[in-house]
Amino acid sequence: MDLETVKDRAGPRAFSPKHDLPEEYRKAATRMIQFHANSEIMGAYLERPFIRQAPSLDRKLAFSAKVQDEIGHGQLLYRAAESLGIKTRDEMLDELANGEGKFLNCFHYPMESWTETPMIGFFVDGAAMRRQATLKKVSWEPYAHAMDKICFEEGFHVKHGEDILRELATGSRKEQEMLQEAFDEWWPRIIQFFGPTDDKSTHHDFSSEVGLKLMSNDELRSAFLTAYVPKAKKYGLEIPDEPRIEKRDDGTYKVVEDDLDWDEFFTIAKNNSAGSKEQIGKRHDTQEAVEWVRSVLDENERTTTGTAPQAAD
Amino acid sequence: MIWEVFRQEKSGGYHTHCGNVHAPDAQMAKLFAEVQHGRRKPTNSLWVVPQQEVAEVDAEEANFGGTTDKSYRWAMTYNRVDESFAEEVADSQREQETADRERDEVTAGGNR
Repeated sequence: MDLETVKDRAGPRAFSPKHDLPEEYRKAATRMIQFHANSEIMGAYLERPFIRQAPSLDRKLAFSAKVQDEIGHGQLLYRAAESLGIKTRDEMLDELANGEGKFLNCFHYPMESWTETPMIGFFVDGAAMRRQATLKKVSWEPYAHAMDKICFEEGFHVKHGEDILRELATGSRKEQEMLQEAFDEWWPRIIQFFGPTDDKSTHHDFSSEVGLKLMSNDELRSAFLTAYVPKAKKYGLEIPDEPRIEKRDDGTYKVVEDDLDWDEFFTIAKNNSAGSKEQIGKRHDTQEAVEWVRSVLDENERTTTGTAPQAAD
Repeated sequence: MIWEVFRQEKSGGYHTHCGNVHAPDAQMAKLFAEVQHGRRKPTNSLWVVPQQEVAEVDAEEANFGGTTDKSYRWAMTYNRVDESFAEEVADSQREQETADRERDEVTAGGNR
C-alpha cells in the first residue's frame, strides 16, 4: 500500500498486521505506541513506592492493583507496537533501560510525598484517559484494541485518584496545605502533558493524516481543562497564576504558552533532565536485581518450546 | 483433526470463537471454515487454529477474579466521588458495572 492509499483509507481500526503498509506509517505508529508503552511502565515505577507508603490497607490494595494494571497496559502496548514489524518488544525494553526510550514528561519528576499521589492518580491519569478515549478510533487496529481494555480499566484509577484527592482536601489543615503545594508544583507539568501547541508540534500533520492522531494537542488540552479545572476548584485548590489560562467565548480554553518552561520540557523529552536520569536509573537497578528471574524464564521458554522470539523485519 | 474457528465480522473488530470444523489439513480447514461459518453471518476474516494448540484454563482449576474481596479494583467502589464530570470516566464505569453484573449472573447461574 502506498502512502496516498494509506491516507485515503485511514479510518478507525483500518489497518492490521496483515496489511502491507509503508515504512513511514509503521515507523510513526511505532514511535507513538512505544512512547505510550514506555510511559505506562515509567508511571508504574514512579507510583510503586506508594504501595509501601500507603496510609491504610485499602489504599495499599488499590495502589498495588493500579500499579499492576499499568504494567499490564505497558505489555499490551508493546505487543501492539511489535506487530508493526519495526522493533521487537525486547528492543523496546532495552531502549527504555539504556535511556534511549522516550516517555511522558510527568514521569520524569520525583514524587516524594503521599499528598502528591493524586497529581498523577487523578490529574495525569485523567489527562491520559481523555487522550486514550480518542485513540479507540486510531487506524492501527491492535492499538485500538489495546485502548478498549485500557479505557475499561482506567476508570478505577481516576476515581481512586479523586478519592485520595477528596480525602486530603477535606482533611487536616496541614494536608490541605501540602495538597496545594503539590498542585502548584505539578500543575504546569500537567498542562504540558499534551505537548506543545499545534503550531509547534512536530509530528502532528503526518500523524493526523494517517489516522494515528485523532485530536490536536490544543483540542485535547482544552477538553481536559473543561472537565478538570472545575474539579480542582471544587476541592478548594487555587489554580496557579501561571501559566495563564484564558477562557474563550466558545467555552474552550487557551493556555499562554510562553508562561511554561519549554526548555525544561524539551530537555526532559530528550531524557536529559536530572529527574530523567534518576527515574531511568531506578528502573534499571530494579531490572538488574530481578534479572535472574527473566533469565530462568527465557531459558525455560527456549528449552520447552524451541522457538525464537518474534523477529522484526 | 479438529480446527477451532474465530470470526471477525468487520474490519477492525475482534475475532470471536464461532465453532469448529473437521479437516485433514490447514488448507481444507480454511475452506470448510469459510463454507460453514463465513457464508451467512457477516464475515471479514476467519482465524482457523488446530484445536490441540489451544491451551485452556477453566473455572474448575482457577478462581477467576480471586477468592477475596477485590472491590478496591472497581470504579463503583469509589462512590464518594462522581464519574459523570468526564465522559470517558463515566463510560469506563458503565463498562465495569456491566462486567460486574454479568459476573454475578454467571455465578448465580451455578457455573461455579
